[in-house]
Amino acid sequence: MPVFKTPFNGYSVKFSPFYENRLAVATAQNFGILGNGRLHVLDLSPDPSLPIAELAAYDTADGVYDVAWSESHDSIVIAAVADGSVKLYDLALPPTSNPIRSFQEHTREVHSADYNPVRRDSFLSSSWDDTVKLWTLDRPTSVRTFKEHAYCVYSAVWNPRHADVFASASGDCTVRVWDVREPGSTMILPAHDFEVLACDWNKYDECVIATASVDKSLRVWDVRNYRVPVSVLNGHGYAVRKVKFSPHVRNLLVSCSYDMTVCVWDFMVEDALVSRYDHHTEFAVGVDMSVLVEGLMASTGWDELVYVWQHGTDPRAP
Amino acid sequence: MATQSPPRPPTPTATDENQGSEVVQPAGMDQQNAGEEEPAKLNSTQSVFVNSQPLREEQVQNAMKFLSHPKVRGSPVIYRRSFLEKKGLTKEEIDEAFRRVPDSAPTVQTAGVNQDGQFKSSSNSQQQTQQQTLQPGLPASTGVNTSSGTLLRSRFHWSHALIAVGLLAASGAGTAIIIKKSILPQLKSWIRKVVLDNDDEQLKKTDDKPTLMEEAAQAAKSAAAAAAEVAKASQVLLASKGEERRYFVEVVSLLDKQVQEMKSMTNAIRRLEGQEDLRISQSSSKQLIVNGKVDYDLRSVRSSSPPASVEPSSGLHPKSYMEIMAMVQRGEKPSNIRPWEVDQVQSTSTQMLQSEVNGEDLNTKTQDTSLVNGDEPLPWWQRKNVRIREIDNENESNGVPYSAASSQQPVQQPVQRVWVPPQPPPIVMPEAAEAIRRPKPVAQKEQMPDNQSVAHSSDSSDDVHSVSKPLESEGAVEGSSVSSVPSSSEIQEEHEVKYDEQ
Repeated sequence: MPVFKTPFNGYSVKFSPFYENRLAVATAQNFGILGNGRLHVLDLSPDPSLPIAELAAYDTADGVYDVAWSESHDSIVIAAVADGSVKLYDLALPPTSNPIRSFQEHTREVHSADYNPVRRDSFLSSSWDDTVKLWTLDRPTSVRTFKEHAYCVYSAVWNPRHADVFASASGDCTVRVWDVREPGSTMILPAHDFEVLACDWNKYDECVIATASVDKSLRVWDVRNYRVPVSVLNGHGYAVRKVKFSPHVRNLLVSCSYDMTVCVWDFMVEDALVSRYDHHTEFAVGVDMSVLVEGLMASTGWDELVYVWQHGTDPRAP
Repeated sequence: MATQSPPRPPTPTATDENQGSEVVQPAGMDQQNAGEEEPAKLNSTQSVFVNSQPLREEQVQNAMKFLSHPKVRGSPVIYRRSFLEKKGLTKEEIDEAFRRVPDSAPTVQTAGVNQDGQFKSSSNSQQQTQQQTLQPGLPASTGVNTSSGTLLRSRFHWSHALIAVGLLAASGAGTAIIIKKSILPQLKSWIRKVVLDNDDEQLKKTDDKPTLMEEAAQAAKSAAAAAAEVAKASQVLLASKGEERRYFVEVVSLLDKQVQEMKSMTNAIRRLEGQEDLRISQSSSKQLIVNGKVDYDLRSVRSSSPPASVEPSSGLHPKSYMEIMAMVQRGEKPSNIRPWEVDQVQSTSTQMLQSEVNGEDLNTKTQDTSLVNGDEPLPWWQRKNVRIREIDNENESNGVPYSAASSQQPVQQPVQRVWVPPQPPPIVMPEAAEAIRRPKPVAQKEQMPDNQSVAHSSDSSDDVHSVSKPLESEGAVEGSSVSSVPSSSEIQEEHEVKYDEQ
């Protein structure tokens, strides 16, 4: 299984929705505290003994905290940058004309970016200035600003079935469900007693959300009955940084944590932990499951490595 | 934020959501309906994502009590809302509570002014009550009136001051008496002693010479003893060096054996595939040697806490997370940041990368054509390992091939996996020491500790820190045979701790 060594500390990894062997990695220097950042676009080769090739790399003045692929154009990537800007890159254009757009509206670091998989024309950015902003590729300014959280919004994720619904996870310990057509949030889930670092929708059940928190647990909620979680997944030793539902298996979700492990869970089963990978030697902060290839997952961490492996295999095996 | 929530008129949204809830109640709970109606329906589908439950009166009551608390009055509105949201109240309930508690959501400026006035008056009243309870003896006329209250305080001050002065005087007098009684006699006795000592010294001078001789003799004896100790220490050092050398020689010999094995394996593979690529074999053997040296030389054990990681690949002095945070807080900038000029460096970096990629493609074209024909048509990542095995099986099955095939990794930079042979444990069991020093058959025993350590790691399902590529695991063999505790493959320090405990 190939490994890619990035020069900076990894922050996020996302598979391309168009090419099954392509992924983008967001990295930041000095653990993201201070310094430059780089956005890598990598290509896996069919021969497993060859290393991962780097298709392009874009440098930024501040760390890149998250990356998102466009669902409408196969060569457009969105970078969430720590200086508060949201930058658009086009791989098809020469590097001198990149980034093609830089939206500077957030007043603090932009922590996540997510592209609408249903409408395919808009994307969200969530920031430490307590807001979530909605953008389209053609407008120079944001379309909407959602300001209700009382603390940093760590993640904003579109619902995979409903074009206008998204969820946001924040450091004020709540998760809010929003409808773009409504003026404010439509639901407030008091998800944890500590900061909620990530959330994700179930790809097969549009009402199920998973949340990951500083309290080392993952909780799965059904928005129709959100007082009590559907299940609570314990097993991580430290805060859980990212959670992703599998696009292929209904009940499977993957999470990565500051305990340097990536865990795969089945939340409908009593003994939920399916597998655990501890290939990272630093905080594991980014994880993704490929939509095009069943079982393929990628993870990155502050140890500057990007691993891509098939579920059930050892990520460090050659 | 404070301005957003109050101006939103509560009644229209309440009616909207009421209507939505009425539609929802029969149909919203039904998943299938929502799914079917999904394309371009505005009415009832999105109401799944809206609270359809009526207001909970007791929650609203609790919220009202919370908002009426004087301490809460002083906090910003957004914190109050955030607290209530954390407790699980819906927006409607929060709005209702804010509406019911009068004056609970003022604008920021007036809140500030009101706060100050409220705090002052409340603190005044509190002080008054406290003082009254403390001083029951004061005349009863000093009661509720503010004027008399001020007089009360002033008299209070005076009496307080008088009492304090009196106490100080008493303590001062007491210490003076104590000093006179105890310390003066001590001084006198000390003076007498000194005088006596002076007299004694004259007597002692005559005894000096014999004492000098004795002292000299004692000094000589101690010097001899020290020399003897130094000699012993140097002997011990030499012995330990000899031991170290022995271990080193053993390790080197084992390394050589491994290299030979690898070479034989590559030869076998070459024969099987019928390809001669000298470059790959040479580079792999070089890598092995490099890895071996690195593993042995680094005496430090990799600890589990992330901030202490060492990253020799990134620059001269790679800093840990804590060091960088400390630097930033002090106001310094880490030295590896470049002031950014977008156009120049991007173009050079991507050009370099593209040329690298092209170069790799040219080199590997020949290999690709020969290999791909023999392999399956699907790329490697599409081969599905269907059955999701448990952790135990995974590790065991992957442990052996992983260690054997590690030399074939043509990675650009070796992944940082550091395993250090554990320090030789203190000799608790002489048979164990004998076992270590006896030369072992290499092939069997190397594979065995791999499996054993991996198997033991699989036993403990929590906190598996895998020890990768144990070259020479005399320590691990000891651990598996001697220790009764299930030795999960944890950090070497813990291994040593277990030895010490035994």
